[in-house]
Amino acid sequence: MKAVLQNQLARWGFAIILTILILALLAPLIAPYDPDAIDVKSILLAPSSAHWMGTDGLGRDVFSRMLFGARISLLVGFVAVGIATVIGVILGAIAGFYRGWVDVLIMRLVDVMLSIPTFFLILAVIAFLSPSIWNIMVVIGLTSWMGVTRLVRAEFLSLREREYVLSAQTLGAKNGRLIFRHLLPNSLTPIIVSFVLGVASAVLVESGLSFLGLGVQPPQASWGNILTDGKEYIEFAWWLSLFPGLAILLTVLGYNLLGEGLRDALDPRSAKINA
Amino acid sequence: MMRYLLKRLFWMVPLLVGISLISFLIMHLAPGDITTTEAAFNPKASEESREKLRKLYHLDEPVIKQYGYWLERMVKLDFGNSFASHQRPVFWEKQDEHGNVQKGLIQDALPVTLLINVLSLVLIIVAALPLGVLSALYHNKPADRGITVFVFVGFAVPGFWLALMMMYWLGVAHNWLPISGLHSLGHEKMGWFGQLWDYFRHLAIPVFISALGGLAGISLFVKNGMLDVLHQDYITTARAKGLPENTVVYRHALRNAMLPLITLLGLSIPGLIGGSVIAESLFAIPGMGKLFYDAVLMRDFPVIMGILTIGAALTLVGNLLADVAYAWADPRVRRGVMH
Repeated sequence: MKAVLQNQLARWGFAIILTILILALLAPLIAPYDPDAIDVKSILLAPSSAHWMGTDGLGRDVFSRMLFGARISLLVGFVAVGIATVIGVILGAIAGFYRGWVDVLIMRLVDVMLSIPTFFLILAVIAFLSPSIWNIMVVIGLTSWMGVTRLVRAEFLSLREREYVLSAQTLGAKNGRLIFRHLLPNSLTPIIVSFVLGVASAVLVESGLSFLGLGVQPPQASWGNILTDGKEYIEFAWWLSLFPGLAILLTVLGYNLLGEGLRDALDPRSAKINA
Repeated sequence: MMRYLLKRLFWMVPLLVGISLISFLIMHLAPGDITTTEAAFNPKASEESREKLRKLYHLDEPVIKQYGYWLERMVKLDFGNSFASHQRPVFWEKQDEHGNVQKGLIQDALPVTLLINVLSLVLIIVAALPLGVLSALYHNKPADRGITVFVFVGFAVPGFWLALMMMYWLGVAHNWLPISGLHSLGHEKMGWFGQLWDYFRHLAIPVFISALGGLAGISLFVKNGMLDVLHQDYITTARAKGLPENTVVYRHALRNAMLPLITLLGLSIPGLIGGSVIAESLFAIPGMGKLFYDAVLMRDFPVIMGILTIGAALTLVGNLLADVAYAWADPRVRRGVMH
């Protein structure tokens, strides 16, 4: 942990993420207005001391909506990547540990999934289901596990040949013990790094889907669908497009910095970006 | 080389079968069958169109048979006709029952998307190479730090937002660039240079937007590759025997650092194709992305399934081209020492 905080990238990323996390968690306490309260007397007001980020086409307070939108972004990011990581770790562990035909089968499945343009895949699934926050999380999760699978498999393949694992095996350790006591704990670093970087891209995908009207549905606020409103009013209400975009940028930047920083700090072999 | 190619082609068969399975699975994701989903979204969906869907995908027959029919369609590249868009064929031109030839939707959209993607790839290479090399040569100096900031922001900026901002500033506020479509009114009357310039003005922002993410990633990759290579013994040898620094950097180091780049460019193709949805729908460019987006909004299932399959096939072809280019560029593979 100390090594992590000494890393400049990680420190910046951590600070950004922590701030957004606190704002999101405390949204009901901080938000000056009800995010869904329509006020016809204050439509499209520019940012002021009463409305820090202005109001939208229905007179709703953009700052309050942004705070509640942060919850959606973070929730979708964590749950989607959580699903992807669980699938990836299980498949990668099986492929790397048992090798043979199971490995071939799983890796071919990875190749197939990687050859279908992910955004098309996600949109197609949403066309057959319906756009809701739960469906989005599951769909993003089910279409982004391939990287983790490859990673865990590679770790397992190399760790499995290490002497300490071989000696544990010789001493009669069962497969379960080998996997959970020896291989998995030693693969944690790359898994954590890929989780953090994965959240960054999940946040981008969710906001893109919501922007296209195929993600989180209004009136529930998400950064993506605030931007969709912003598109309509871009000529008279710049604040509707500027703030959600910056929020997405900062969040994704935060996760990327944290991820790269963690990689540098925890894995000296690949200390590259800020070496 | 020939044997390598054949082997590589052979490997595509199981991938194609896998793609057919995944797409078939997606078709059957919907609770009940897809005819009821369509009705749930669009209460006006007529009994007639439901019947068409049932017939198109043979939904009354056992699942195994349905898959067989789906596989047959994929092999024949026949994805039926669109439910919307004047019921044009999804993939390629076909004669309708009146003997008129109708052009396929993908047939029209594919060249547009290919053009945008090729331009994006060119932009990525042209911009990412110098950025990466500079970053490596001036490692930890201000130039490198500046480029690193650009890389991180390039990764993090949501493309659709940047597109919206550029659309507003360059298009609406200053009226420098057109903000929709592929060409202006009166395009046909322009000379060839005028036409080219017209395309360029329409495609400038979309190409920049779709290239940005890849640009950031690839410049980072070039930088890391260069840093690795610059510390290798043969570079020290080259310097020790008195070669000029430029020769060392560009002839010896860059060439080797660039090899993996070929594979990486191949791998970035699905991202580019998938990413075309946002740029194309925002700028009303009639390519695959917009076609797909419109199809999703209208639940035009034949078009969705067709584009999904063709998109995957394109990715496979792209990866194949990348592998062949790699084999051609790397003498070790070319002469059969590796693989």
